[in-house]
Amino acid sequence: MEQNEVILSVRDLEVQFTLRGQTLTAIRGISLDLLRGESLAIVGESGSGKSVFTKSFMGMLDNNGHVSGGSILYKGQDLAKYTSSAEWRKIRGHEIAMVFQDPMTSLNPLKTVGRQIQEAVELHQGLKGRAARQKTIEYLTDVGIPAPEKRYRQYPHEFSGGMRQRAVIATAMACNPEILICDEPTTALDVTIQAQIIELLRDMQKKYHLTIIYITHDLGVVAKVADRVAVMYAGDIIEIGTSYEIFYHARHPYTWALLSSLPQLGVKGEPLFSIQGTPPNLFKAIEGDAFAPRNPYALKIDYLIRPPYFELSPTHKVRSWLEDPRAPETAPPDTVQRMMARGREAADRV
Amino acid sequence: MLKYIGKRLLQSLLTLFIIVNVVFFLMRLMPEEGYFGEEYDKMEPAQIEAALEAMGLRDPIPVQLVRYYHQLLHFDFGKSITVRPKVNISRIIQQKAPYSIRFGLASVLLSLVVGIPMGTIMALKKGKAADKIGNGYIVIINAVPAAVYYLFIQLYGSGMFNLDILYNERKAISALLPIISMSLGGTASYAMWTRRYVVDQLNKDYVKFARAKGLSERKITFGHMLRNALVPMAQNLPANILLTISGSIYIESLYSIPGMGNLLLSAISRQDNPLVQALVLIYSSLGIFGLLLGDLLMVVCDPRIKLVRGNEALT
Repeated sequence: MEQNEVILSVRDLEVQFTLRGQTLTAIRGISLDLLRGESLAIVGESGSGKSVFTKSFMGMLDNNGHVSGGSILYKGQDLAKYTSSAEWRKIRGHEIAMVFQDPMTSLNPLKTVGRQIQEAVELHQGLKGRAARQKTIEYLTDVGIPAPEKRYRQYPHEFSGGMRQRAVIATAMACNPEILICDEPTTALDVTIQAQIIELLRDMQKKYHLTIIYITHDLGVVAKVADRVAVMYAGDIIEIGTSYEIFYHARHPYTWALLSSLPQLGVKGEPLFSIQGTPPNLFKAIEGDAFAPRNPYALKIDYLIRPPYFELSPTHKVRSWLEDPRAPETAPPDTVQRMMARGREAADRV
Repeated sequence: MLKYIGKRLLQSLLTLFIIVNVVFFLMRLMPEEGYFGEEYDKMEPAQIEAALEAMGLRDPIPVQLVRYYHQLLHFDFGKSITVRPKVNISRIIQQKAPYSIRFGLASVLLSLVVGIPMGTIMALKKGKAADKIGNGYIVIINAVPAAVYYLFIQLYGSGMFNLDILYNERKAISALLPIISMSLGGTASYAMWTRRYVVDQLNKDYVKFARAKGLSERKITFGHMLRNALVPMAQNLPANILLTISGSIYIESLYSIPGMGNLLLSAISRQDNPLVQALVLIYSSLGIFGLLLGDLLMVVCDPRIKLVRGNEALT
């Protein structure tokens, strides 16, 4: 993150879905600047809109969803205005590529893995025939698949889960993208394989100068890979900052709650912390802070007016009334405080 | 893979063996007048007995069985009795089958060529006008008795386009209406299944991933989805093609095509025992062979099938 060049700029993005005649607002006005070369992690519970948010950069929303407001600026183009698949095809793969959650289903079972990667090579690098095949084998080698010549001719069912995810990553790399979106890239894998895949993604990022967005609810992954972390709740980014800021200086009660649910923080013999209540109904307009009903620190104003962003540092923003000068002093829960303090000490020692 | 094919082959042979025997024993249960035709009423019991003995039907069952196997191995199905008296059954079939096969193949081909693209388009335009029109067609074909639209096509088709009302061997164009009529049902069912299997593929992750790669919808449809969608259909295709030999009873009589369509029915109604036996054997072995080919075709189409052992289902 040496240079702070903005590669993708999202402004007031709103995404709506129509379900059985009702309108659901999945993304409620998000603004975000993605910096070239960084790793941004987007965390949040299921249904918070993490996937929908990033899918809107590629025109990959389900048929009943559409961008209903705001803009997505990329290389001088507003992607939010794209409608036809011909327009999107200029972005998909070549500019922004994606790695899906489940490597078991991301590959076509009836085509050899080599052919599927080669498709991307042919489409995005203009290579054909033997040259394309050669390049494909290079990518297979690149992502650490042994015996690439042999693997090229094999079908997905002959690959293990980890190897398939490597093949999926090779496909994404073959598109030669600027931005890579990894939608829960390790969730479906064994723990031991998870670390390898994360390591591979970091290598690829260095080698191909990628900007990576990780979508995950695994804070362990976040800590390993992310330069910056955006915390999403109910279709909104409620806190964003550097990894250090989010893990050791978090200010939003929802971020505290997420950190408290880390199993490492649990006390042996006691039930693991969980956030009470359920996320809000996105079919209805949300008044005030969406997290207020589940928030033990909620103020009266949280139920009435949506909090603005308060800047805690040039990189750290939080959408919470607790940061207002008029709000009472609030400290995070003890366990989180202890973890943060330990983390800060460890970080200071380095 | 070879092991799978070998196993599948053995299964087919076993099935065939069972059928051959079942047919043999069923035929021994049939009324004996089926071996005589018209003359039966005029014959004395002693004459009947003598004739049956001459045909070997009074021999012990094992002896008959061995003789029956021996004949089958030489493709000797015996002679017809009532339908075409004293004519070799293999000759009857040789004369009639080519007509049925020609019409059958042409109509299966037409059904495939029309039905598969139709089903694909319906799936891609799911819920839109094209899909609704297609569904309307499928419902009509399945709900309206075939005789109604067969007659309609024969009468109005020949009138409007000035075609022959009956099939004429010397005019190739006269085959058009019967082929179209025969293909309508197949078209509807291929369209229906293609639509169903393509719709299954639409939301698969690999399709989304292919889209995220930047592939065009055309490439996704033809390069990825269609093959996955057609695999489950490949299984029935060879049997469908082989069984065209049995002909279409209704179409053949409507256009007076001298095919196989009516043969089994008239053999049964006129108690032509050897002919019934031969036809049942031929149709069932073609059915078994077709299923075998279908399974082998699946092996060719789907690389995963090599891993399937025993009765495990395809996932």
